[in-house]
Amino acid sequence: MSTTTSTNVAYGGAAARPRVGLLNRFQPSSLVFIGMSLVLVVLIVAPLTALIVKSFTDPATGGFTVANYIDAYGKARHVQALVNTLYMGVAVVALSLAFALPLAWGCSRTDMPFKSFIRAGVFGAFIIPPYLGGIGWILLAGPNSGWLNRAWQGLTGSEASIVNIFSFEGLVLVMAINLYFTMFVLISAAFEMLNSELEDAANILGAGPIKTAWKVTFPLVLPSILGSALLTFLVCIALYGVPALISIPARFPVVVIQLSEFFSYPLRIETAAAYSIPLLLITAVLLLLQRLILSRKGYTAVTGKGGERRMVRLGPWRWVLFGYSAFVVALSVAMPALVLFMAAFSSSWVGGLSLSNLTLQNFNYVLFEHATSQQAIVTSLGLGAVAATFAVLLALSISYIVQRKLVPMPGVLGYLCMAPFVIPGIVLAIAFYSVYALPPVALYGTYTILALAFVTRFLPIAYTTGSAGVRAIHPEMEEAVRILGGGRLYAIRKVVAPLLKRPLAAGWLLIFVPAAQELSTAVFLVGPKTRVVSVVLLDMTEEGEMEKLAALGSVLLVIITIMVLLGIRLLGRDFMVRRS
Amino acid sequence: MKFATKTFAAAAAICAGLASMPASAQSYEPWEQELYDAAKEEGGVVWYVSQTTSEMANAICAEFAKRYPDVTCDAIRATGSVTFQRVMQEVQANAVQGDVYSSNDDTDFVEMLKADALAAYKPHNLEHMLPSMKAAGNQDGYWYASNISPYGIVYNTDLVPADEAPKTWNDLLDPKWKDQLAIAHPGFSGSMSMFTVAVEEAYGWEYFEKLEANKPQIGRSVSDGYNLVVSGERKVAIAPITLGLGGKMGGKPVDIVVPEDGLMLPPSGTGLLAAAPHPNAGKLFEEFLLGKEAAQMLADAHRFPLRSDVPTADGVPSLANTPMITANPGTAAEKVGPTTEKFRETFGI
Repeated sequence: MSTTTSTNVAYGGAAARPRVGLLNRFQPSSLVFIGMSLVLVVLIVAPLTALIVKSFTDPATGGFTVANYIDAYGKARHVQALVNTLYMGVAVVALSLAFALPLAWGCSRTDMPFKSFIRAGVFGAFIIPPYLGGIGWILLAGPNSGWLNRAWQGLTGSEASIVNIFSFEGLVLVMAINLYFTMFVLISAAFEMLNSELEDAANILGAGPIKTAWKVTFPLVLPSILGSALLTFLVCIALYGVPALISIPARFPVVVIQLSEFFSYPLRIETAAAYSIPLLLITAVLLLLQRLILSRKGYTAVTGKGGERRMVRLGPWRWVLFGYSAFVVALSVAMPALVLFMAAFSSSWVGGLSLSNLTLQNFNYVLFEHATSQQAIVTSLGLGAVAATFAVLLALSISYIVQRKLVPMPGVLGYLCMAPFVIPGIVLAIAFYSVYALPPVALYGTYTILALAFVTRFLPIAYTTGSAGVRAIHPEMEEAVRILGGGRLYAIRKVVAPLLKRPLAAGWLLIFVPAAQELSTAVFLVGPKTRVVSVVLLDMTEEGEMEKLAALGSVLLVIITIMVLLGIRLLGRDFMVRRS
Repeated sequence: MKFATKTFAAAAAICAGLASMPASAQSYEPWEQELYDAAKEEGGVVWYVSQTTSEMANAICAEFAKRYPDVTCDAIRATGSVTFQRVMQEVQANAVQGDVYSSNDDTDFVEMLKADALAAYKPHNLEHMLPSMKAAGNQDGYWYASNISPYGIVYNTDLVPADEAPKTWNDLLDPKWKDQLAIAHPGFSGSMSMFTVAVEEAYGWEYFEKLEANKPQIGRSVSDGYNLVVSGERKVAIAPITLGLGGKMGGKPVDIVVPEDGLMLPPSGTGLLAAAPHPNAGKLFEEFLLGKEAAQMLADAHRFPLRSDVPTADGVPSLANTPMITANPGTAAEKVGPTTEKFRETFGI
């Protein structure tokens, strides 16, 4: 199995020595790896194949046809939605990068003040799911009644509004304030793994701090920037909640809204499948591009050797950077969360701050009078935990196989792990639906189908985290173990796993939080008894009862925050918020 | 919403009290007792509903559980086309999980009947219904009228003086309402798709082209438009007058206009699913929807009770002499799809 790469052949030769027996030659890990591949088939290959096959299937006769593509792209409006989506994706990536890169650099490589505060704030962006951020911003920047607009009108006496969330800019902002978190984490992780030797070299040769950052530091974290930009782009174009809230009033049709049209009655799964195939191709091209760029250079930054990490001194500029970071945190977390909590305790969210406007009725309603929300909170948390655990274990095993090239064509496995991102959440749901919901498998309305879909959906995050972690560990340490006679699994247990403890735990939380709040995939897979809290919230958003919505959202946020804080406590204080 | 707050606080208090009371406090008709016993075996009813707000749906469920403490009730509320899509998805997957379906778009039932998705059941309580409402249902018993939420105009009284409020549907086309209107999307809202069909029949498609010139805010549900008016985000909405009346009585800054040219009446039916996992609980729930308690709840919420023995609340306009704009029932089903498509083209979403 391991004869495909030169490194393994070299050390495979060691197996000829007498003290390494047959058992090590047929590594038990091979079985594990075969098992992993089978799991991937169930999670990804089968639904994806079904999607592609469906796109060429005549719904009436079951025969081959291209009519679905004509249905899907035969209208200018449908093509426009795709163009809009790509445009939105690029804008969101640009804005997210403008948020994430300075903050990540500031927090990991400079002497910016109050880093822990900024880190905690950025982490808040992650806890607030996109649709709740969207609701917060609707309260803040509704064109006529939004708080910012009323404050502006109150201050200036003007009739005009200054911000309108129901616009392209509003859509991009609401997406970016949620999605920049992933970029921040991945780029920070890369920054933190660098040691200062290369920067020192640049300094010695006369480069100032800015030039060093630009010429040395940033190029070294380029893989993380590209990887996270790609990830953000793919998440963004597949997100359902924010467009449902904002792009319908903004009259900015995007792919997910168009898909929900194909999924309304009469259900046109075949057309929807055809409609999502170009997205699949675009993503394939982007992934290929990323590989081409990254394969030209070596990026291994962490070796078994020592190295030192020192902070860049920014002088007075550190306050500028802090000011900008605080601004980003205010936009993405403090402001939307504050208005959400205030609305949750108000009889009327436009009523302002007064005792007569204060009420607990919204909480009473969502917790005790609403038929399904209580159960939905429990379901969401449970599903989140299950999905995170499975996805992390699976992704880590696979990224190890891929990075160490332990099976033929390891790239295929890696590509499969990333594949779910190509499929917008609701299409993934439909692909799952068509394979697993119907008899003979008949999983409709069960927790199992939701869990399977969530694992698949979040596998790319797990895989990106896992493979970034594995990539940063030079094989020389495991090779040392194996030269001394240890098996592959022993090397994993004693060397790889301890080194990956932090990325593993981070990966788990990175999945648990969005999985517990996942909407796009859940929306077509929930049954009446398996409703998750995001779907309950979505149904509530249709009616525009902001106060009740805010109350349920607040409950969700408080629970998730407590769980995350507990997680951080259990996993040690070095976790996520690194103290230098 | 002070009014609702009181109602639900009271409902909650009653529910809490009930838990400690023996179930025998209720008395049942013989047929009702029989259904109730069978429903107890099944556990509970799952109600797919787009006809009321989720608050109202949950209150109805709570009231149901009060009368029948041993049968649970789960209301799953979403917009018409989302709910319909969920039901049809279950029908096609042969995995029906809901029991009772309530919609604002009776063409749903025509489609469901084609797919053999409905069970015929004529509730005993039909005999107490207003004759016009009895006639509005399906004569073979596959569905019956269970609610009325006529579309009219709702406006914010803080922002619009009563004499300046629009008086007719055509008044909404006045440029002075530019950026101040709220409507629902027929691709999501079942009743809005009936409205779109009915208004096109009455005024032609130009109506919507002119409406688009005023850039209305488009939400998914009509409730969203109503709430936009409550918050003052928009001044005027096309919305069910029942919502507006409920808000007005609850002290919110809204009032309604019954347009001089007529209200639009979406037919709002309820049917039992053929493959319902809890058919008896479903039938019991259908009976309850037509029963006196539910009618009283509707009256209390300033909606229209459909029974002859429950009077309409004060302040609710009589529908007897109001003109009605309705879609031609014979052709509505086939028009919904193309009309929604035209809406998407005209409004760009």
